[in-house]
Amino acid sequence: MKKILIANRGEIAVRIVRACREMGLRAVAVYSECDRAALHVRYADEAYAIGPSAPRESYLRIDRLIDAARRAGADAIHPGYGFLAENEDFAAACRDAGLTFIGPTPEAIALMGSKTAARAAAVRAGVPVVPGTEAPLAPDVADEAIARVADGVGYPLLVKAVAGGGGKGMRTVTDPADLLGAVRAARSEAGTAFGDPSVFLERRLTRPRHIEVQLLGDHHGVVVPFVERECSIQRRHQKVVEETPSLAVDSALRARITSAAAAVARSVGYTNAGTIEFLLDEDGRFYFLEMNTRLQVEHPVTEMVTGLDLVAWQIRIARDEGLDVDPARMLAPNGHALECRIYAEDPDNNFLPSPGRILQLRAPGGPGIRDDSGATAGLEVPIFYDPMISKLIAWAEDRPRAIARMRRALDEYVVAGIRTTVPFFTWLFEQREFLDGRFHTTYLDEILAARNGRPFVEPTAGDETIAAIAAAVQSVVSPSSAPPPAGIESSPRRWKMQARLEGLR
Amino acid sequence: MQYDVEIDGRTRQVLVVRTDTGLTVTVDGRAWQVDAARVDAHTLSLLIAEPAAEGDEGSAREASHEVTIAPDLASSQLAVRVGTLPILVSVNGSRRWGRRHDGSVGGSGPQRLTAPMPGKVVRVLVKPGDAVRLRQPLVVVEAMKMENEIRAGRDGTVGEVHAREGASVEAGTLLVVIQ
Repeated sequence: MKKILIANRGEIAVRIVRACREMGLRAVAVYSECDRAALHVRYADEAYAIGPSAPRESYLRIDRLIDAARRAGADAIHPGYGFLAENEDFAAACRDAGLTFIGPTPEAIALMGSKTAARAAAVRAGVPVVPGTEAPLAPDVADEAIARVADGVGYPLLVKAVAGGGGKGMRTVTDPADLLGAVRAARSEAGTAFGDPSVFLERRLTRPRHIEVQLLGDHHGVVVPFVERECSIQRRHQKVVEETPSLAVDSALRARITSAAAAVARSVGYTNAGTIEFLLDEDGRFYFLEMNTRLQVEHPVTEMVTGLDLVAWQIRIARDEGLDVDPARMLAPNGHALECRIYAEDPDNNFLPSPGRILQLRAPGGPGIRDDSGATAGLEVPIFYDPMISKLIAWAEDRPRAIARMRRALDEYVVAGIRTTVPFFTWLFEQREFLDGRFHTTYLDEILAARNGRPFVEPTAGDETIAAIAAAVQSVVSPSSAPPPAGIESSPRRWKMQARLEGLR
Repeated sequence: MQYDVEIDGRTRQVLVVRTDTGLTVTVDGRAWQVDAARVDAHTLSLLIAEPAAEGDEGSAREASHEVTIAPDLASSQLAVRVGTLPILVSVNGSRRWGRRHDGSVGGSGPQRLTAPMPGKVVRVLVKPGDAVRLRQPLVVVEAMKMENEIRAGRDGTVGEVHAREGASVEAGTLLVVIQ
């Protein structure tokens, strides 16, 4: 394997280019119209246009991606996450074109992509699932039959789409009278969003945590699970903060939940990177939720506490290398890591997207900080894609120090021209429940609803005075008024002379 | 130079005077010694000290603040970032600083709410004559796979409603005017 085409954009495309460079591989970018000057294009060795900005006409076009790979002479394709990463037709098209798909087999993607089939696989592997229906509700099933099935599952329950994710095609039902309406609404939403209106019923746990287990599987039968990630901080079913390890998981529970994850993966012959998501109930019981058959957005926190490069391992596994890591070490985290997903959204205006041109951007750095970003000053945040501009990751020897480091880094983050969710995180990391680790998957939505749109960070009178001073003096401070270094006149001749003197030292 | 600087509905009188050592900036009668260095088009480094009283020997503490200044398209004001926080500022009633691309003016006049991104109007929640409160949702626009509420930027009365349910809108399309 010498050349990899990256079928993605933004920060994850940049992340994969970086792995390629470190491994001595050539990286091929693809771009839509609005991404011509994007960072992943600038970092790549080669780049090919694949169509207009709308994803359907570019990043989701299997034919154009395969054509670009042929033109570049690439021998492998990395799908990143999102777009075609969990599309079995894309994985199969790569195989048919003689390209290595850096991910699981099309068969594994198809099997685990269906929530009901994945639940059945978990049950076969002896792993508990949230009580619910084993098969999708038949499209022509009578209303009374649905009601009987729902009584068996128990209330409150969730009506869930068999396909897709991200909270679409999902309804909570607390009152049996609302059941049939919820089923109708979920079917119609799932049909529109995923082209598949099938739904099933699942018991709704009241205050669960979202705990997930990253794993890698090679082509020689080795499956290694990693220390769990805690992803309960979610807004409208979207993860906002991820961390590892979880305060709710002790070493005994870690042993059980990671073995369960590995058992599910082994039972379906899973290869490459994947993540198994669980709900952890208040009583300590956990239930299989679903499997993501790809690299996750939040993979860096796992890298920070295990020292492994997961993207590099995806590539090595695709090259048939054996997974020779020490499984015990992957379950013994070194320190603690957190990730914030920084979005181009206005937190003080109901998290409204804030696309536009980034006029100024400076990412934080220093000890324990990692910024995985695809954004630079001068770039527009396009309206066509997910508005995440960066993932800010902080590592330290324990959780309180990692949070302190994250707060320091958030203070350093400078973005001008668009709004970002940085002030929201500044507020979140002051909340007692978050600091104590007392939260569950609906915690954030509940406290946001209770705030009723109040600003996250309110300026003090002192801040406002500084803003007033800055706004007034900016007109009298021209670029030339920055004082030159002491003792040097800023004429070109003097600069040259100084440079010569420096050279003589 | 004298400026009227409005923040969160309150106008401050700001006087800027050049001195031998930098700038003296008086905000509502209180004087500050300011050393301002421009880093780039959007960034200032400010060292702000309260001037020593007459006859006072000791020099005042100099607080260091990095500030970025950029136009805020959504509000047609300046977004001045102090710490992690963007503070919206109008200078001299925005006439000079807060000019929008379409030439209209924000600040104390009628507030023109435009679509921040291309999308589809899914709900219109107000009609002309309705009294609205700060942050009240006015129009719901679907874009970026999300339903986004366009909310009132201040208390007032709905003057014009241009948004129509089901209509496609471009970024900058006028939706509602609040008087």
